[in-house]
Formats: sequence, structure tokens, C-alpha cells
Amino acid sequence: MTILGTALGMVFYLLQVVSGESGYAQNGDFEDAELDDYSFSCYSQLEVDGPQHLLSCAFEDPDVNSTNLEFEICEGLLEVKCLNFSKTQETYFIKTKKFLLIGDSTICVKLGGKHITCQKLNIVKRVKPEAPFDVKVIYREEANEFVVTFNTSHLQKKYVKDLLHEVVYRLEKNENDWMHVNISSTKLTLLQRKLQPNAMYEIKVRSIPNTNYFEGFWSEWSPSSHFRTPENNSGKMDPVLLIISIVSFFSVALMVILACVLWKKRIKPIVWPSLPDHKKTLEQLCKKPKKNLNVSFNPESFLDCQIHKVDGIQARDEAEAFLQDTFPPQLDDSEKQRLGGGVQGLNWPSQHAVITPKTFGGESPLRCLSGSVTVCDVPVIPSSRPPDCREGGKNGPHVYQGLLLGAGTTNSTLPHLFPFQSGILTLNPAVQGQPLFTSLGSSQEEAYVTMSSFYQNQ
Amino acid sequence: MFHVSFRYIFGIPPLILVLLPVASSDCDIEGKDGKEYQNVLMISIDELGEFIRTERNLDSSPGLNTRFTDSMIEIDSNCLNNESNFFKKHSCDDNKEPLFLNRAARKMRQFLKMNISEDFNLHLARVSQGTLKLLNCTTKGKGRKPPSLGEAQPTKNLEENKSLKEQKKQNDLCFLKILLQKIKTCWNKILRDAKEH
Repeated sequence: MTILGTALGMVFYLLQVVSGESGYAQNGDFEDAELDDYSFSCYSQLEVDGPQHLLSCAFEDPDVNSTNLEFEICEGLLEVKCLNFSKTQETYFIKTKKFLLIGDSTICVKLGGKHITCQKLNIVKRVKPEAPFDVKVIYREEANEFVVTFNTSHLQKKYVKDLLHEVVYRLEKNENDWMHVNISSTKLTLLQRKLQPNAMYEIKVRSIPNTNYFEGFWSEWSPSSHFRTPENNSGKMDPVLLIISIVSFFSVALMVILACVLWKKRIKPIVWPSLPDHKKTLEQLCKKPKKNLNVSFNPESFLDCQIHKVDGIQARDEAEAFLQDTFPPQLDDSEKQRLGGGVQGLNWPSQHAVITPKTFGGESPLRCLSGSVTVCDVPVIPSSRPPDCREGGKNGPHVYQGLLLGAGTTNSTLPHLFPFQSGILTLNPAVQGQPLFTSLGSSQEEAYVTMSSFYQNQ
Repeated sequence: MFHVSFRYIFGIPPLILVLLPVASSDCDIEGKDGKEYQNVLMISIDELGEFIRTERNLDSSPGLNTRFTDSMIEIDSNCLNNESNFFKKHSCDDNKEPLFLNRAARKMRQFLKMNISEDFNLHLARVSQGTLKLLNCTTKGKGRKPPSLGEAQPTKNLEENKSLKEQKKQNDLCFLKILLQKIKTCWNKILRDAKEH
């Protein structure tokens, strides 16, 4: 019994081994079938024709001889167990309403009624939407934007309703420079400023399922649409706005020019009034005379000049008194006479205020009155009629540029006492040849002049 | 005495073993996240409601129309009195939702014979088969034939027969409408409980 059992076991074992090596090949077709790659891929389109769905499959290897091959789907169907595919060229498809749409289905490749290869897949995970269509681009001038709209058949479907759309656009001259925009609605706005002006653009759309249940692949591209962007609108402006901008520009320019022209004389004194600088004022008053100005206390140098007696000057009483005080008996009699004659008609201009002994800046302005009569430097004030002694002989008022005054030395420059820019001395032409202030003699009293009067006279 | 003890010893335990599968629920609900129900089953249930409304408007006297909403269905007065024994026996109680859906899905199969339209049958089959697939129950009654709607009455004359048929159709449509409502309510309850947990 044992030996018999062992023998039977060995026989069965050998049979199994032999049959395994041969691979159950009963004809040569199966051997050839195992060598070919029958892998395939499928995609589904739901409600593609009314309530009917479409499932399409094709071999991944295009060289497969699909002459006698068939496709079959089982499971995941309603009312039936399996369905066979139809064939068109190299693609197998089935159009039916009988997809359960829940769970997996099994798709097998058959040859001669026998399954060669099978694949399990879920139809709802291989959905390929239909391509969008009717892509339109409308330009909204008031908003400077382009409104892109398109249509898709999935808006009326029950199952695959929510899609993600990819809109791409490019300049026609740029071959592969596409701009991508993903949207979930069927409307997109493109801003004009982000597009090149006066250029032709191409735009197209495709879709993919965007739900948590239906998944799949991108649809085919929609037919391309073209649109042209308008020319640059920055040169075109509203006429009213243009006029306003031009007027305002010219106004601003005019104001700038006026500001530059009137800055020194009008604007700066108001905006930035200059405070009196006594040092500068003194320097200015006591600056060196012009070259051609003959300044000298030597009477012999004025022999060519016509000297007229001054007797018509308007002056204040204080000034006269001052003069009487400042030119005390220290002076010689002859000088007194001369002075008196000269001063008699000396009328101070009204602008020339009281000459009072005042210090300016802590310094006595008149240092020259220290007992001896000397001549201070007379500042030269430019005037419109620079006196030229050589002219002489003219009647009428003459403008004196300087006034010789002073008694004694001074450490500081003496400000000009009687600037004659604003005052005109009327001279007595009858009196000539009398030096007016050739020398003041020694004057012990100082002539007090206020800096403010100098400033005013200046 | 020995007869009595043998009866109790050897009779009752097998009875218990037989009854246990009936009492217990062997269903494992797969679609608790609601994706299959919201994207497939609910669409078919709404389509069936439209079919029923259309059929009842064509056949019966005008009444309040039923509208299938997400939460509840407005039932017209004609269907209110049609409370079948089925609903008395089976309800979507707590911890019994899969069992109720299983029975309701099986019950729907009997309406395939109404032959209202091909699309009607397909939606009906999708709801029934889809529910059963999601429940993934392993009850013994899987391979049973669907129970018939009722035995054919012996016809007396053509007019009476026609009238009876119409009445029966209306009753069936009423029952189906209520059944769909109950199925929808029970699914919503399952999904709500799943979200809470």
C-alpha cells in the first residue's frame, strides 16, 4: 500500500511539473500571446450622448496585432453581468447607460473567447470631460479689460458637473510662451495693462473633473480663439483732462520763472528778511572810493573844481543845533566862517534823522573826534550822478558823494554821515571856491551818529 | 422526564444558533463619507422621484406634487394612507440602519417589473444595487429572488381589471415614493452619525 501510494504521488507530481513547464500551451497562439504586451488604457465619458456613457480603451503598444482581440467589461454594471466592446480602427469602445458608477469593474482582453489579460479599474476615476467650446473674448473699453467666456456641455450634466478649466493664451508670434490660468467658472477677466498693446493673441481652454468623487484626465483643447489688443491708450487722453494738464503745466512753469526772477528783490526780503549786520554795513559805508574819485583834504587839489556854497539844504532843527554844537569854537574863525557859510544853507534832508551820539555795536562810531581834526575816510556811495569836479560850473543842485567830517582819528571806519543818494543839496552857485569841509579843525566833541540813521540813509 | 430534558438540551441551542445570524447585522457600510451617495445614489433617487411624479400626474387625479428635497419629501394626501406593513416591521432605528437599507434595497427590486421605462428601471437598479454594494452585507438571503408585488387577482372583466391595475400601480408608486424617502432619510442619518464620530 505504501509503495503504491508513493508511486501514484510521484506520477501526479511529474504530471504537474510537466504541465507547468509547457504552460498549458495547446496551440502556438498562446505562446505568441505571452510575448506581446497587451497592456491597455481606458478613459470614460459620462452622459456623452444623452444619458449614455462612453468607455474607450486602446492598447498602449501601437504595434499590437488586434485583429482577433476583443474587449469585455464585467462587474460594475446594471442588470447584466458583462458587456462586450465595439471596435473602431484601433480603439475599442462601449456606449451604454448600464454603468453602476459605484465600485470597480474588470476589463479583459479576449482572444478566441479566452482572457489574455485583465485590468481592474474604476470608471469614475478615469473620466475625460468633453472639450469646451465657443470661446469668446470681449473687450471692455471702460474697464480696460478683456472678458473671456466659453461654454461646456457639462453644465447641463448630472454627474460630472464641477470642472476645473485651464485657460492658456499667448502672443501669436511667441510659439511656446503660453500663459496659464486655472478657473472653476466659465468666465475669465484679463487686464489690458498685462497684455502687450496692438498685438494678436491666441487663447484656448481645456477641462478636468474637479470633484472629490469623479477624477480623470484633461479634456481635449477647445478650438482656439484670437483677439487683438488695442493700441497704447496712454497717448490718448480725455480732451478736458489734456487741456487741464497743459494749463496746469504752464501755470507751474510761469510760477517757477516768476519765482526765479523776483526771488532776490521781492520774495527773499519777505521770506528771509536780512537782519542788519553792522559790520557789513560799516564795511560797505567805509569802503574804498573809486579810483577816479578824488578824495583829498588838500584844498589845492580842488582848484579845478567849482565849489558852491551850500545854502539851500533842508534840515531839521536838531541837526542844525548839532552842527552848531559839533563845530565848536575849536575851529578857527576862518573856518568857522566858512563852515557857517556852508552850513548855513545846509539843509539836511528829511531822511537824515537826528544825529545823536549813539554807539553802535558797543563802539563809538565817531572816534575821529578826539581833538584834532582829521579826515576820515569817506565811503563812496555809488550814485547815478557821480560828481566830477572837473565838470563844475553848473548851477543847480549837485550831488555830493561824500561828506568830509571828523575830528580826530578813529579806529573804526566812520560811517557815511550824509549819504546823498536820497538827499540833494541845493547849492548856492554864487559862493564858489570856498571849501566847505576841507577841514573841520580840531573838534573835541565827537559827532554822534546813529547806526540806524546810517542804515536808513543807506 | 428524559424526553423533556432531551428536547430542551438538543432543541434550543441549535435554534439559537440558527436565529443569531438573523438578529445580527453583518453589513459593513463602505460609503460612510457620502461620496457615492451624494454623487450617484442621490441623483438616481431624485430622478426616480421625477418619474413617479410624472406617472402619478398622468394617471391619477391631480393632488399635491411630491418634491424630493435633500432633507424630506412632501407626500401628497393620496399616499398618506398607504402605510405598508413593511414600514411597520422595518425602520431606520439606531444601530439598525444597514439592516433597513439592505431590506429596502431588496424591496426595490420588485418594482423593476413595473416597466415604466428603461431609464426608470436603470435608476431603480442603480439605487438598489449601489446600496447593496456599499452596505457589503453578508446575509444569507443574498441570492433570494425578489418577492413579488402580489398575486394576480382573477379578472372578472376588462374594465375592472384595468381599474384594478391602475389602482395597484398607484399604490406601488406611492409605496416606492415612501420607500425612497425612507432610504434617503436613513442615508442622511448614517452620514450624520459618521461626521459626528
